[in-house]
Amino acid sequence: MRPENPLPATPEIRITDNEFRRFRDFFYRRTGIVFSDAQRYYVDRRLSDCIIAAGSRGFPDHFARLLTEPEELERLISMFTVNETYFYREEYQLRCLTSTLLDRITSHKKPGQSIRLWSIPCATGEEPYSMAIWLLENWSHVDSWDIEIIGSDIDTRALQAAEAGIYSERSLMRLPRHLVAKYFTVIPNGQYRIDDALRGSVQFSRVNVIDQADTGRWRDIDVIFCRNVLIYFDETARRTAADNLYDSMAPGGYTCLGHTESMSRISPLFNVCRFPEAIVYQKPGEGIHA
Amino acid sequence: MPDHPNDQPAGRLTRPRVLVVDDGTLIRLYYREALEAAGFEVGEAINGIEALEKVLSERFDLVIVDISMPKMDGVSFLRTLRGQTGEAGAIPALVISSEAGEQDAAAARAAGANYYLIKPVAAPDLVLHVAVLTGMPA
Repeated sequence: MRPENPLPATPEIRITDNEFRRFRDFFYRRTGIVFSDAQRYYVDRRLSDCIIAAGSRGFPDHFARLLTEPEELERLISMFTVNETYFYREEYQLRCLTSTLLDRITSHKKPGQSIRLWSIPCATGEEPYSMAIWLLENWSHVDSWDIEIIGSDIDTRALQAAEAGIYSERSLMRLPRHLVAKYFTVIPNGQYRIDDALRGSVQFSRVNVIDQADTGRWRDIDVIFCRNVLIYFDETARRTAADNLYDSMAPGGYTCLGHTESMSRISPLFNVCRFPEAIVYQKPGEGIHA
Repeated sequence: MPDHPNDQPAGRLTRPRVLVVDDGTLIRLYYREALEAAGFEVGEAINGIEALEKVLSERFDLVIVDISMPKMDGVSFLRTLRGQTGEAGAIPALVISSEAGEQDAAAARAAGANYYLIKPVAAPDLVLHVAVLTGMPA
């Protein structure tokens, strides 16, 4: 969990038990994210910050605005979703991508055809850009295929940051220095801007993974990275997310989850593949899309 | 650094300029990174039409062309390029194809390709061929 905001709590904004429950249900329906009673303090603090930042008079006033003003809802989602990540996080899955998954996928395609990779949620872009850098650096067939990389997230502010492609030293801590020098430029405030061409190699879009109307726009995805998000969902939302990802995948495509997550406990639709680097989940039907 | 005569573009006196023509964003980036690291200056185009506009308005010492592209493919581009009068029509062309078929190679040669490679092309191989075709000392 992130360190708490050092600002003192404003005494006027108090969230009652009933309001907390209303908010929790509302947030769950919109995002699939579940807050437990143990997270009450965290939720109250973030919610108070949102109410003050938006200039609302209190919870009832702000809640009404959340229902009618999409931009307030976006701001709230941004405050509550954890967007901290870094380049080359869980590198073993990137290694699995180039050592195993892409070879299997391309064995059923003709050279020059497209390969679609989807990072969802992509937060501020570190993951989809990592995929691009990893492929450029580690896959000798990178020029033989039309590789499409898509980054999606529910948080539009995170997506704007992803498109801007400006990162702190901290985001780059795991990326080898020669790659930082190759793909980034230091800007005057000491941050790093990603190479323009690399920025153009990833397509960003807002997608809520539990909303079929959103995910339904994406089809024939060969590899999905959906890491460390399902842990925030309850069983129902996890199942919905898994079904939606399944529908977006090409037959024979693969989904990679975070290292603490397991699709076997969520959905029976996928085949479990145990590769040397990682356990990944395959949509049955390899070869159908040949 | 020598002075540049007014009628001579600055790039000619410094680094050979290569135009990479491919519809794959990541592919262009891959070739560009390899060539820039080896001292070439690189331009990019996403199809034959955009490439024609570039070679007619800027000076390039070599074009690297993918065969399969939307709008205007590599072979059509080469035919049109070779039909141009002046320096643009004579720019050396390296064709890179995803297909190992003889048909593509023959079509590329007939359209005016100087050399033909099959993907995947490793970065050192690309640099070597580009250096030879541009007359750049290795």
